[in-house]
Amino acid sequence: MDELERIQQQVMNPGAALADAPAKPRLSPGMITLLIGIASVVLVVGIAFVRSQQTQPSDGRAPDFSVTTFDGETVTLSELRGRIVVINFWASWCGPCRAEAPALEAVWRNYADDGVVVLGVAYADDADDSRAFIAEYGLTYPNASDIGTTISKDLYHIQGVPETFIIDQNGDVAQFIYAGVTEQQLTTVIESLLNGGGLS
Amino acid sequence: MTRLARVVFAVWVVCLVALVGSALAQDSEPVVSVSDDAVLDVAKSLYCPVCPNEPLDTCQTLACVNWREDIRTQLAQGRSKDEIIADFVARYGERASAIPLDPGLRALSTVTPYVLAVLALGAAVLLITRWRRAGAAPAAQSTTAAASPAGDLDRYRAMLEEDLKR
Amino acid sequence: MLAEIGYISLALSFAAAVFGAAASLYGARRKQAMWIDSGRNAALLTFPLLLVSTLALLVGLMTQDYQISYVWAVTNPTTPMFYRVTALWGSQQGSLLFWNLLMAGFAFVALLANWKLNPRLMPYFTVYSMLTLAFFIGLVLFLENPFERYWIIPGADGVGEVVQAQFAPANAVAPEAARLAETARGLNPLLRHFGMIIHPPMLYLGFVGFLVPFAFAMAALASNDLSTNWIKATRRWTLVAWLFLSLGLLLGGRWAYDVLGWGGYWGWDPVENAAFIPWLVGTAFLHSVMIQEKRGMLKVWNMFLVIFTFSSVIFGTFATRSGLIDSVHSFARSEIGAPMFFFWAGVTIVSVALIVVRWSQGALKSEHGFAGVLSRESLFVLNNVVFVALALAIFWGSFGAPIITEMVTGTDITLGPDYFYTVTVPLFIAMYILMGIAPLSAWGAVSARSLGRSILVPVGVTLAAVVLIALTGVNDPGALFGYGVVLLAAFVAGYEIVRGARARARAAGEHPLLAAVSIFTRNRRRYGGFIIHLGITVIGIGVIGSTLFQQETQRTLAIGESLQFSGYELRLDSMEYGQIADDGRQMDIANLTLKRDDEVLTTLRPRHDVFPAAADQQPMVMNIPSAYGTLENDYYVLLVGVQPSGAVTFKVYVNPLINLVWWGGLVLIAGTLIASWPTGQKAEARQRVANAVAVQRGQVTV
Repeated sequence: MDELERIQQQVMNPGAALADAPAKPRLSPGMITLLIGIASVVLVVGIAFVRSQQTQPSDGRAPDFSVTTFDGETVTLSELRGRIVVINFWASWCGPCRAEAPALEAVWRNYADDGVVVLGVAYADDADDSRAFIAEYGLTYPNASDIGTTISKDLYHIQGVPETFIIDQNGDVAQFIYAGVTEQQLTTVIESLLNGGGLS
Repeated sequence: MTRLARVVFAVWVVCLVALVGSALAQDSEPVVSVSDDAVLDVAKSLYCPVCPNEPLDTCQTLACVNWREDIRTQLAQGRSKDEIIADFVARYGERASAIPLDPGLRALSTVTPYVLAVLALGAAVLLITRWRRAGAAPAAQSTTAAASPAGDLDRYRAMLEEDLKR
Repeated sequence: MLAEIGYISLALSFAAAVFGAAASLYGARRKQAMWIDSGRNAALLTFPLLLVSTLALLVGLMTQDYQISYVWAVTNPTTPMFYRVTALWGSQQGSLLFWNLLMAGFAFVALLANWKLNPRLMPYFTVYSMLTLAFFIGLVLFLENPFERYWIIPGADGVGEVVQAQFAPANAVAPEAARLAETARGLNPLLRHFGMIIHPPMLYLGFVGFLVPFAFAMAALASNDLSTNWIKATRRWTLVAWLFLSLGLLLGGRWAYDVLGWGGYWGWDPVENAAFIPWLVGTAFLHSVMIQEKRGMLKVWNMFLVIFTFSSVIFGTFATRSGLIDSVHSFARSEIGAPMFFFWAGVTIVSVALIVVRWSQGALKSEHGFAGVLSRESLFVLNNVVFVALALAIFWGSFGAPIITEMVTGTDITLGPDYFYTVTVPLFIAMYILMGIAPLSAWGAVSARSLGRSILVPVGVTLAAVVLIALTGVNDPGALFGYGVVLLAAFVAGYEIVRGARARARAAGEHPLLAAVSIFTRNRRRYGGFIIHLGITVIGIGVIGSTLFQQETQRTLAIGESLQFSGYELRLDSMEYGQIADDGRQMDIANLTLKRDDEVLTTLRPRHDVFPAAADQQPMVMNIPSAYGTLENDYYVLLVGVQPSGAVTFKVYVNPLINLVWWGGLVLIAGTLIASWPTGQKAEARQRVANAVAVQRGQVTV
């Protein structure tokens, strides 16, 4: 059958190169480029996909960063080693952030003497709006703008606000809280960390 | 005047009014109220920094409303569209702009498609020249057919039939 | 009971697909007809089984069986019956099941229609279509099962634990029906629109439809039957899939325009683009396949195009449903991302490898050698360059650039409409120019003189038309050039139809009108194609008008006040606050009077809808526009918000010629129907015999 077709085609197209011995055509440069192109697209998409699945760190070393607070102080996470740090991502336009602000302030007041630091990081928020928010709730713990959303998006991969990370004395993430927090919730974790116990 | 002409005329009038308006706005200091249209014109070139790929001019969340008010304030302070966009990028990252501000990133994104298109075109030209060289014999045949003295319609018919043969 | 029926027939369909693929492969390799037939029968069985499964879910939705998790998640007691049905594709799990049903349906019809015609291809067709189907059924069965139910395992303290499982866990009881109904979520408000009823099914039909050409191409490669058989079997299927995809894209645009409320129909969002890319690659294939049919050239390239059409469908689905990219339209991030990625990579790599193997065996060599620079072959190659470049540019803007920038520099970037206009407009211009020239060219050798002569009339008419447009006041050179290029393509398509009819009338001695009808019945593909071209040009004119000349303004009006814009006067007459619709939404409606030249045109009623939220959800807000449409333009009004003073802010768009986009879409669909409508096999054979006889007698068969 194949043979017949080939003969037919030869008869119909005397000029065609089909009559040649079936020498294996080598891969042309164009074909090689195309194959490399396809392979690299698949590879790049694969890597991007793996990266897109990255989520908020819930254990291990907390990504380090440095911010300048609204009061003009510079806070570097790694320099707070040995203390418990509550990092709270928030924004003035976010409803649940308003609900949890008093809880964070209360924790800051109760545990400042124990070396606990509460650090607010304003995500994608206008600085004036942020300041108004801080004033409205009388927040006294350090707060900073996340300029260029590098901390929230590139380091902590937050999906929205509010999200809160509790960092232990060793600089590891002890707890990640996806939604708004309550004073009770924070107190439990902090007490446990202060008593030297990790979280079970 | 046709309707189309009227539309065009209206565009022209609106542009003129906008131009005069903005000129006036330049003169009279901060008290000017900035029109929604001026705000939206800037917002159009921005993306909501916290939404999934949504332009700032159409986004309806509270955050976006605040950002549009922010644009209004900045416009009232006499800042230009480009300055406001640069300010948003500085605060919220490149994703806030509808096209990267960083010249390197902008060049990478806009030039690459043209490079790809030129590559594809090059491959096609290569293929066509190879086809052209492939065989002169059948070519001579066809050209004679095409140059036959028959009338236009007859030649067209011949071509059409050739077309529909298979 | 329903859940069990649905789940078990889903599981059976998975088994049937796997068995169908395996038996067909074994039968084809060993040349055992029994296994081949058995494989086919199993493959045919998948469709009825999936139909039962889908119907079970549908009945569950309609009878409000909230114990089924999917029913609970997408409907609630206030959902009207109509939306209960459409809720079938309202969320990930149901839409995947529905996708499977459509895919099995395509395979079912293709198997029945082509079995006898292509005995060598069909076993391998079964293998590839069933492997693909098995993968997608597997996704539903193992990862996104819509039939899981809620159960309560009573605890010691009287507080039960709610679990989600297919079959009742030990000691578990069904939750109270009333409690379930009370908490049920309801359909995503965005999906409560007429366009959403047909848009997803059409888009899915377009997507899964490309399975058939893909499976035929793979079958040809695997069986080494690389004659024109697979092309003949494929081209109509490609056209059918292309038709549905076009419809899906058009309806999606219409839905965005009517519901999303941003005054446009195409936002260059990654998800929209992901659906557009297969359309572009598929269109390239529909053209270049003609070169292979007529001249036996470009065999390798056509294989690539078919495979990349399907590969881009899978990629789009993967990108949309995996969280790879941020988009307004994306589904929630889910577990199917990783399997979908591997499937996409596998499909692409395996098929390309198969092409390379066959190619290196010399099986895909071109038959004809020569083609002139102005020949139709060459112009079609350029057409392919344009479509592929468009697909690449759009892929780059939606995925390539953002992904690579993020990977290399760690910066997230956005590429908005401005980027896409800059890179695609030159390519679209090239597309319309080729559309205006290629149909006039011929196969093989074409002299510049003869091509020049045939293009004379259309170019003359185009120039006249452009002058006419300029006289009406359009003086933007870009717009005039754009209209000219698009009109040339339109006139050429029209001219070809007229010339064909005249040639036929002369040769067959028919009345010109009768001749016009008979060329369509005799050469559906050719003349249907020209109608499609006409549709595309009508769309093009609409796009130019509505993009270049769109005007917008936003103003705030107190009751009784009016705004003047673009020659219209819009007066706010009254507001109706807090209207409750039967699906529970709260509506604020504005009553506006639209006037032009002191003549009342209509009353417009844009709305602001608030959908009450379930306990842990945000309420959803939608601004539904109201528009007054004429052929000249749409006057499109959105209710943006109510100011504290009680004044109301409106956004007004005037979109010139926008309705041509929809009208052009209808023309395009009509053309595709003409081109792809199945000819009865008997009629086709009769026609072929008649043609052969006529050719022998030297008669014309135009």
